[in-house]
Amino acid sequence: MIQRALFPASAALALAGAAHAANDLTHPEVAQIMAIEADSDYGAYLASECTACHAPNPEGGIPQIHMLPESYIVGALVDYRIGEREHQVMEQIAKRLGEEEIAALAKYFSEAE
Amino acid sequence: MHFNRRSVLGGIAASSAALAAPTVMAQGAPRVVVVGGGAGGATAARYIAKDSAGAVNVTLIEPTRTYYTCFFSNLYIGGFREMESLGHDYGALAAEYGINVVHDWAVGVDRDAKTVELASGASVPYDRLILSPGIDFKDGAVPGWDVTAQNVMPHAYKGGSQTELLKAQILAMPEGGTFAMVAPPNPYRCPPGPYERVSMVAHALTEVNPTAKILIVDPKANFSKQALFEEGWQRHYGGMIERIGPDFGGENVSVNPAEMTVDIDGQVESVDVCNVIPAQRAGRIVHEAGLTDGDWAPVNAADMSSKSDPEIHILGDAAAQGDMPKSGYAANSQAKVCANAVLGALTDSRVFPARFSNTCWSLIAPEDGVKVGASYEATEEKIASSGGFISETGEDDATRAQTYQESVGWYAAITADMFG
Ligand SMILES: Cc1cc2nc3c(=O)[nH]c(=O)nc-3n(C[C@H](O)[C@H](O)[C@H](O)COP(=O)(O)OP(=O)(O)OC[C@H]3O[C@@H](n4cnc5c(N)ncnc54)[C@H](O)[C@@H]3O)c2cc1C
Ligand code: HEC
Repeated sequence: MIQRALFPASAALALAGAAHAANDLTHPEVAQIMAIEADSDYGAYLASECTACHAPNPEGGIPQIHMLPESYIVGALVDYRIGEREHQVMEQIAKRLGEEEIAALAKYFSEAE
Repeated sequence: MHFNRRSVLGGIAASSAALAAPTVMAQGAPRVVVVGGGAGGATAARYIAKDSAGAVNVTLIEPTRTYYTCFFSNLYIGGFREMESLGHDYGALAAEYGINVVHDWAVGVDRDAKTVELASGASVPYDRLILSPGIDFKDGAVPGWDVTAQNVMPHAYKGGSQTELLKAQILAMPEGGTFAMVAPPNPYRCPPGPYERVSMVAHALTEVNPTAKILIVDPKANFSKQALFEEGWQRHYGGMIERIGPDFGGENVSVNPAEMTVDIDGQVESVDVCNVIPAQRAGRIVHEAGLTDGDWAPVNAADMSSKSDPEIHILGDAAAQGDMPKSGYAANSQAKVCANAVLGALTDSRVFPARFSNTCWSLIAPEDGVKVGASYEATEEKIASSGGFISETGEDDATRAQTYQESVGWYAAITADMFG
């Protein structure tokens, strides 16, 4: 497997902006979700919605989410959900994810190759 | 009860198993048969095989060795993709997922015996059957056109050779000639598809035949992403594209392939290429199986099961499910819900609430992509939209280029999700 940098390139960009939740474990919502015990079966099921766009080896304008740090995925999804990070598709998708779902997905993708 | 050869054989197997240790009985893994290896069927087969890890026996029946996606076929017409990049084979599904890929046509379903009859004469038993055969064209939908005329007036609405033919015809048009499209009535596969096609034809003609004209005759008053397309056509192809809607005869159209004419409400136009996209209905096998109400097969949103047979599921274009458009993305999304429900019914795996989503991208011109999408949930009555989004008119070039790049990534991901 190719060694990844600790932060994905897009994370650096996101963090350069306003107070993003991404990778910020002190953000109360991120911390709360990180404390939930993730349901791995549920995570695998929910992830099937994501793999329509996020392939393990992505191409074009779709970023890699497989093998990202769990807290980064939680932070990104929270940012989309609260509109802190704008993107029509990801906001629509994140809006209907509850904390349970975000926890399960983040765990799944952080471990999925 | 049917005493055919198969159930006798099954009976022998069962009784010998009963004499042996109980674990031997577990060898008779439940059987899922999937008809149609497209967006819905290939996804369902792959997910059931993958998630059951061998506990379910999956057979996929698909006549073609290579599936050419309709999605991105307009980009081939526009010169942005090679035909080979749209072709996908079933090798990984057979070799890596253990799916029994049978290249044959399903010609009938015996719902009492729970078998699928193949054109070769074989009969395949199932515990659960999944049908995702896509569409067929309605006979007589465009007077003057039938399947024997499709080499003169191609539909290019099923992937592969028809698309290649249409592109060749466009490139061979005389200077200043006319490309006509007879657009379909609702509902049909890929609501923005005809209009993305017009955009890509316009792009191709702008490069090789800039004085050519495009004429759309359309039975619909409005169409998908209309404001976005019309803005883009004005901006990129000003004056090349004319559309005749129902107010001006767009719903009273016949064609004459021998003369290469289109009759629009009594007015006869001579054209050089004529792309006829007829009205559509569910693929024939769904009708043969007695699962349709009119043109399409009604399903329960929670698990995509047929409203007339709980052991048969119908995916994708063929299903009457409610609010989702007939798209490859939607078929793929429905397939995953169905796979989860089928596995739950046949094994002890967990079943989660249905959730669906869809996004349809369209390319209007180089680096000018737009999208429309939504999330959906299962209600008692149907698959119901729970909110969506659409690109805006007047967006900046960077956003449009980004949207196009997303669609390129989506194509790679969804085809990997279907074929492994
Ligand atoms: C020009 C165009 C552009 C499009 N663009 C997009 C897009 O950008 N995004 C998008 O999401 N969708 C798009 N679509 C729509 C998409 O192609 C369909 O909605 C999708 O393929 C439907 O999936 P399905 O499984 O229902 O049918 P299909 O994908 O058509 O698969 C059906 C399969 O079943 C097989 N079959 C049929 N009958 C039998 C039988 N009796 N026995 C065995 N096998 C059988 C066929 O050979 C076929 O392989 C586009 C369509 C067109 C025409
Ligand atoms: C329709 C396509 C699509 C689907 C489906 C989709 N995504 Fe995304 N996702 C994108 C795109 C495009 C981006 C980049 C958005 C941006 O620029 O902010 C993205 C970004 C992300 C990011 C941020 C990545 C980074 O590097 O910062 C995460 C995390 C993510 N998606 C997770 C998910 C999860 C989890 C799901 C499933 C619940 C999902 N996505 C479903 C298209 C999709």
